[in-house]
Amino acid sequence: MTTTNAPPSETVADLNARLDERVARPPAPTDTVQGVRPQLVVEPTAPEQVSQILAWATETGRTVIVRGGGTKIGWGPTPSSIDVLLSMSEMRGVQAHRHGDLTATVLAGTTLSATNAVLAEHRQWLALDPPDGESATIGGIVATNDSGPRRHWHGAPRDLIIGMTLVRADGVIAHSGGIVVKNVAGYDVARLLTGSFGSLGVIVSATFKLAPRADASRTVAVDFPETGRCAPYVAGLLAQAAMPTALELAVPPVRMLVRFESVEVAAAQQARQAVTLAEQHGGSASVLTADDESGAWRAHDAHVFGADREGTILKVVTLPAELSSTLEQISEVAQANQLEYAVTGRAGLGVLFVRLHGSGPGRAAFVTALRAQFRPGQGSVVVRRADPELTSLVGVWGPIGDSLPIMREVKRRFDPTGTLNPGRGPGGL
Amino acid sequence: MIDSEFLARLERIVGADGLVRDESELLTYESDGLMSHRSRPAAAVLPETAEQVQGVVRLCHQHTVPFVARGQGTGLSGGALPHPEGVLIVMTRMNRVLAIDIPNQRITVQPGVMNLEVTRQVAPDGYYYAPDPSSQVICSIGGNLAENSGGAHCLKYGFTVHHVLGVEAVLPDGELIHLGGEALDSPGLDLLGVVVGSEGTLAVITKVILRLCRRPQAVRTLLAAFDSTDAAGNAVSDVIAAGIIPAAIEMMDRTTIRAAEAAVQPGFPDAEAVLIVELDGPQSEVETLFEQIERVCARNQAWGVQVAADDAQRGRIWMGRKAAFAAMGRVSPNYYVQDGVIPRSTLPEVLRRVRALEERSGLTIGNVFHAGDGNLHPLVCYDDAVEGQAELAEQVASEILSYCLDVGGSLTGEHGIGSDKACHMPKMFSDDDLATMQLVRVAFDPDGICNPDKLFPTPRLCGEVPGPYRAHPLETAGLATRM
Ligand SMILES: Cc1cc2nc3c(=O)[nH]c(=O)nc-3n(C[C@H](O)[C@H](O)[C@H](O)COP(=O)(O)OP(=O)(O)OC[C@H]3O[C@@H](n4cnc5c(N)ncnc54)[C@H](O)[C@@H]3O)c2cc1C
Repeated sequence: MTTTNAPPSETVADLNARLDERVARPPAPTDTVQGVRPQLVVEPTAPEQVSQILAWATETGRTVIVRGGGTKIGWGPTPSSIDVLLSMSEMRGVQAHRHGDLTATVLAGTTLSATNAVLAEHRQWLALDPPDGESATIGGIVATNDSGPRRHWHGAPRDLIIGMTLVRADGVIAHSGGIVVKNVAGYDVARLLTGSFGSLGVIVSATFKLAPRADASRTVAVDFPETGRCAPYVAGLLAQAAMPTALELAVPPVRMLVRFESVEVAAAQQARQAVTLAEQHGGSASVLTADDESGAWRAHDAHVFGADREGTILKVVTLPAELSSTLEQISEVAQANQLEYAVTGRAGLGVLFVRLHGSGPGRAAFVTALRAQFRPGQGSVVVRRADPELTSLVGVWGPIGDSLPIMREVKRRFDPTGTLNPGRGPGGL
Repeated sequence: MIDSEFLARLERIVGADGLVRDESELLTYESDGLMSHRSRPAAAVLPETAEQVQGVVRLCHQHTVPFVARGQGTGLSGGALPHPEGVLIVMTRMNRVLAIDIPNQRITVQPGVMNLEVTRQVAPDGYYYAPDPSSQVICSIGGNLAENSGGAHCLKYGFTVHHVLGVEAVLPDGELIHLGGEALDSPGLDLLGVVVGSEGTLAVITKVILRLCRRPQAVRTLLAAFDSTDAAGNAVSDVIAAGIIPAAIEMMDRTTIRAAEAAVQPGFPDAEAVLIVELDGPQSEVETLFEQIERVCARNQAWGVQVAADDAQRGRIWMGRKAAFAAMGRVSPNYYVQDGVIPRSTLPEVLRRVRALEERSGLTIGNVFHAGDGNLHPLVCYDDAVEGQAELAEQVASEILSYCLDVGGSLTGEHGIGSDKACHMPKMFSDDDLATMQLVRVAFDPDGICNPDKLFPTPRLCGEVPGPYRAHPLETAGLATRM
């Protein structure tokens, strides 16, 4: 990693002169990334400025970390130093909402909730509900391919993105995809950038396919006496061809939330059926609506991601049919290492989030033991929010497999000088 | 160069039975579904295992010999067009279903398995494979992956890319890699997302893990006739505006209705346009929304409404729709299938331009669309026997593409760029956009031997001067900029 000799103030002035505008400033205390202070912060307002900043950084051998809402900036390994923190917060707004086409183009610095407030005018939304939707930005959500409970039905950002404007490390501005929902012209560079954790380019704006807002919503809350009941219940719902938009579990204690969003009669009827089925599986269930419903979802989100909750957060992915055994392993390994834990996640998809408390070596042993359970392609354990102690012991990503060399080659082609988020991309790119 | 030594080595890899070198036999592989582009490969191989594919690709890599993967050859953009100095890797013998995993809703297949075969395998368990190209009886999963194929039901359920969870692939240097897997979210870059839809230019796929969908509780299908395509188009807009995402909304115009009637007698009314609307999902949802759809149709002066009473009637309606391309053969000696996309709200405007073009050119243009997602399939009729008509048809088809781009659409919604539209790419993408795609290409295939001369415009294909770059409507609208 290159560090430059010029004092920060000189660099700030230099860059502002070069861009002919005051987009660069010295870092404020809130600009640190995992305790590391950047040399300077830039807040561009247009793609051309992003382009000039990246071209300058690449030419002068500076490293750049991109920040959206800052909600996920603590993910990944701790950077050894940061030359430039590129904040996208000044590039905000829904550029176009083509409601007749169910698509929208949004600038990267727009928060998800601001986006959906605009789309709500036509009873539509960008169907993503990751944690921190109030402050998480479109750029950050796309860069991390983050999603929430409704992924069960609506998919993740990679499933909804149809176009992108990006700036490459060398400053070139490029587009991928377009504004139509169906489009196979050229390589899907937008999808490649989705989930690339800022390692291949800076996302300036993204175009998505949208969903109509449903007329009605019901959530069935089910309390089970033990985790082993969850998987058979999920299988039972599937066998009925129920179509929940979210199918979540939380432990401990064992609770499932099953959401139905549809026309009134269908949401209500499916919810009733889900209650009956839950009772047959030994659970006690009730149908929640209105404030009770939104309250239950807020509590569910907070179970792992609550702002007041400390601790490491892991993403554990397993096969849907292995849900019970994975949950058992989580509980056993946590106990063996004297860790407190909480889990939430997509019961129908096998995507879980685990919050851990306890000693560093204990948490490391947990990650190692769980990773050892999964054969390649059958599951993974990725560290999301962590501390340097844990990531130095077990890394962030775990094994990538035989595709790591070609991933490295893609990174090298997009960012030959290692300007963008070095070492913090997926697989340590 | 492919010489006798090279052929001998190929034979050692795939066996005498797996090597095609006879000139007349090679003719079988001269083109895919785009018959106007033809080229005979220097050799063709029919591997049966991933190791054999690796062996062939490694050999090609050592000698910098181009290779092209071919599935069933039903592609409509010349994607599987052989390279005259290269090896054609025909995947049809790799057609085994490897694992069915109902509890996890997964199936693992070799790429030569037919699309419809996947559904056949899991139908007894109440599952199906969602992407349903009209060619599903005759096209392979490998080809579907390469083209990111769609189908009538993709409006609600997405395209191939939404249903592929993992692949095993041979890179252009012969390395075998795995992307994705049975479980979701394998850590790393989403290379799977870019390999799907890369038209066989990044790797040869040797194994595929697909996601299965549960059969819905209820399916209801309606056919409605309209006195104009505008009225039908308005009905589509009204459905979307009502917040309904049907499983499918398909439109056919008079020309294609008549062709379908002549070919398979689905019993469609003789109208200016018909809409096929299908809803699926939970029983109570389908019933409620179906009433709304019927009201929307009535409001737009629909007539001759047929509601499928059972699977047989539903099958008949879909047969009429899916036969539309092939049926054109009944009403015209030759036809060119165009594939363009527009924002669905611009349908009336674009159709009016197509009508005017039909009059101006004197060539009949039939229209079938995936109306819900704005994917047009104009069928340009011509007669090869009439001097100059084939060229005229091609010009007309290109002009329709320019209408699509004028409203911010795309050159292709599902058939791909291939050799057919490579020279059109600069009309949709800037040099910088294409150069960015090339970064992916060179990372995978630095020697340019994996299905070369497809997808990207090259001076050799398109002449020294590539088509002039025109601002994409996104830019004129101030929504996007480029340097
Ligand atoms: C009548 C008709 C109707 C059609 N309807 C539709 C439709 O509704 N929707 C739609 O999307 N398409 C449609 N198509 C187009 C075509 O069927 C699809 O593109 C299909 O996916 C091609 O499959 P294939 O096996 O024939 O592939 P091919 O034509 O053999 O090859 C297509 C591309 O895939 C590559 N390829 C094939 N196998 C592999 C592999 N194993 N690894 C890497 N690359 C590979 C080839 O190199 C080529 O670029 C239709 C075609 C016809 C003739």
